[in-house]
Formats: sequence, C-alpha cells, structure tokens
Amino acid sequence: MIYLDSGATSLRKPAQVYRAVERAMRTCANPGRGGYAAAMAASRQLYACRETAADLFDCLPEQVVLTTSCTHGLNIAIRSLVKPGDRVVVSGFEHNAVTRPLHALDVRIYVAGRRLFDWEDTLADFRRGLEDGAQAAVFTHVSNVFGYILPVERMARLCRERGVPFIVDAAQSAGTLPVSLKQWGADFIAMPGHKGLLGPQGTGLLLCRDGAEPLLYGGTGSASIEQRMPEYLPDRLEAGTLNVPGFAGLTAGMAYIRAAGTERIFQAEHRQLRRCIRGLGEMGVKVFAGEHQAATLSMLPDMDCEAAAEAMAKRGIALRAGLHCAPYAHESAGTLQTGTLRLSYGYDASREQTDRFLQEASKLFRSGR
Amino acid sequence: MEYAFITFRSVTFGQRGEKLLKGGGIRCVLQRTPRWMEEQGCGYALRLPGADAARAVQLLRANQVPMRKIYVQRGDGELEEAAL
Repeated sequence: MIYLDSGATSLRKPAQVYRAVERAMRTCANPGRGGYAAAMAASRQLYACRETAADLFDCLPEQVVLTTSCTHGLNIAIRSLVKPGDRVVVSGFEHNAVTRPLHALDVRIYVAGRRLFDWEDTLADFRRGLEDGAQAAVFTHVSNVFGYILPVERMARLCRERGVPFIVDAAQSAGTLPVSLKQWGADFIAMPGHKGLLGPQGTGLLLCRDGAEPLLYGGTGSASIEQRMPEYLPDRLEAGTLNVPGFAGLTAGMAYIRAAGTERIFQAEHRQLRRCIRGLGEMGVKVFAGEHQAATLSMLPDMDCEAAAEAMAKRGIALRAGLHCAPYAHESAGTLQTGTLRLSYGYDASREQTDRFLQEASKLFRSGR
Repeated sequence: MEYAFITFRSVTFGQRGEKLLKGGGIRCVLQRTPRWMEEQGCGYALRLPGADAARAVQLLRANQVPMRKIYVQRGDGELEEAAL
C-alpha cells in the first residue's frame, strides 16, 4: 500500500517506537504511585517523554501534560480559558476539535481570515477580530485540509500585544515545523502524539504555561489527603493512570525526530509535495496549492471525492476524502458541498509514493472511474 | 554517613531535581517520601548525603524546582526538618 494519509496518523513508525511500546508493557507498573523498581521505571519513562518534548518545544518538563489526544488537550485548554458568552477569535481553517468545544460553551466566534495561503488576509482579519474585543484566541498552525501554514508567530505577537490569551493547535505541525511555547508566549499548545511525532494512537501532549483547569478529576499519586486537584502541573491535569506504553513509544518517536531534524523532514516531504502538485497540474486536476504550504494537499478531481478515494484504495493508494472534520476550512475554500480528496505526506515521504500515486491518478482521473 | 531528604509535591519535580543534582555531581536517590514527612499524603523525595544538602538546595532553587521540605540527620541519627 502507498500510504498518503499521514495527516490522519503516521501509519508506519520507526522500529524503535514498536520496541519501546513492548518494553514498557513488559516492564512498567503504575507511574508516580509506588517506590519499587517497576513503578519507578514507569515514572522514569513518563519523565523521559516530558523531557524530550520539553527539549523539542522549548518549555519545562512539568509544563508538558500527557493527554490522550490533541482533542483532549484542546478541550482542557479551551475549558481553562473560555467562559460561556465570551468572544473568541479563531482562524478560518479550524478543525472541529477547536470549534465544537467552543460551540458547546456557547461563545461568540469571530472567524478571521478566509483566504487560503494569504498571510496578509489572515493577519489583517485576525487583528480586526482582536481589536473588536476578545477574551481568547484559538488558531491552528497548519490547516489539516489544505496544509496552509498560518503565520502563528505573528498571530501570537498580536495576541500578546493586546493581552489576549491564546491556544495553538499544532496537530499538523508538531514534528515538522518549529513549535515553541516560550517564544510564542502561548497559554497552551496542543498536539497529538500519533501524527508527526510518530508515537502510538491514544497519546497527545498539551504544553501549558499556567492557569489550567482540570477536565478530569481523580487520583494523581500526589497530595492524596486533599480532595481538590493539586494546583501544580502536570499533576493538576493528569488524573488516573497514564498510558505508559503509549508514551514510551511517543518518546522514541520524538527522539527519532530530534535526531533526524524537523527541517530535514519538512524538506523531504515538501520535495514530494511540489512534485505531486506539478504532476497533478499537468493532468489538469484542480489542486489547492500556494506559498506557506506544509506537505498536505487537497484536490478536486473531476469526480466525487469519496468515489475517487475508494477507487484509489482499490489501486493500493491510501488517501482521505470528505470534509476532514473541518467544515470551517471548507467553507473558507468554497468546498463545503464537494469536500476534497486529501493527500498528506509523512516523515517517510518518497519519490516512489509520488510516482505511484501520479501513475494511478493519471488513469483514474482521466477515465473518471 | 548522614543523610538529608528533600521532599517534593510531585514525582515530576523530584525527577527534574534528580537530573539536576546528578548533573551537578551530587549523588542522590529518588524514592517515596516517608509517610510521616508528608502530611498531605503521597509524595517523592531525594535522599542525598547531608554534606551536599546546602549545595543541592541552592542548585534546585537556581533552577526553579519547587521543593516542599528538607530533613537533615541530627548527630543522634534522627531526622528533623530544617529551614529551606
């Protein structure tokens, strides 16, 4: 199978990820609860995960909260910063992981910047949104549908200058683009463990500055007499037994990325993206491409996008079709009715993947079946 | 040898402390905090040579690792709380 759906998850992990998961399953007891060797081994495993993440994302180990997914982290972050009735500024390319928690709080949402790959439009509208008064801002680093890399550093600066707390959704960027809690001055940055960070599914990270409110309440292995959750991180946000094997795998994934270098991974993916855009262009397929694009590409073949994905799957090519849980992004691009066919590269992007896809695309899209 | 215990509210703080102290050449062991030392319940502590206690506290403070308490061994071998 030619796997081109890394925007959904990284399917094939580096070998050390599988080994780390198995080792942890065989050797780790409950972390932060006991003092015997297997419990301490589990605690050390989680600390290694925090430390590796802290090194990659420029923060302290205790600011790295271990979650079950990016969505879990975003829910914690949103519930911490946003109250019902608040006015919140978001970008025009948000995922439901951001917009559904906001809708559940019944907030007023200002959608800033609808034009794809246009930093000036994004920034100008985002500034307007903040100037009209906002209690918080939430924005994605990279659109999961179109790969649009938003000008997050400048958006972060606009928030800081106006004293507006903000959350960054790094679901599609962590592992391939620089992400820094300290430099951005973000209140929260949420990311999944199983996409660009190459860990197992069921893992995620939430980088927190302070002021976080728990979403789950329960045992933390600390301050056990107290019936309130601890005030300090990461314990405050980590009730219940954590997924130690998952985070062991995530640590191995992040170590791989650190050794390979995010910039090198990005460039390798991008080479294939450009090649793919050229090939599709020659076939006359409508592609959404532009400056500031990560290695995710949406296209509109001359057929139903779900049918196209199904036909591709039969030819051994894994792509994703539909709305990709991001109706705001499709509304911005005018593809809400059609959806798109999405191709997304991962750390193992190769010329063979691109060539095989283009070969099948040239047959399918020309024949229409 | 006389020992000192530095206690932490969270295993994560204890682990960061352990790395820092070991990096600074101070031998230490991370372990569960003896129950009588922690009125809030469970916690973790670093056990280290008493002679290194002052330097350890300085190092942890300089790196903003939140400490809870410090216990040092008296001449008769009993542990007593000292000022941080």
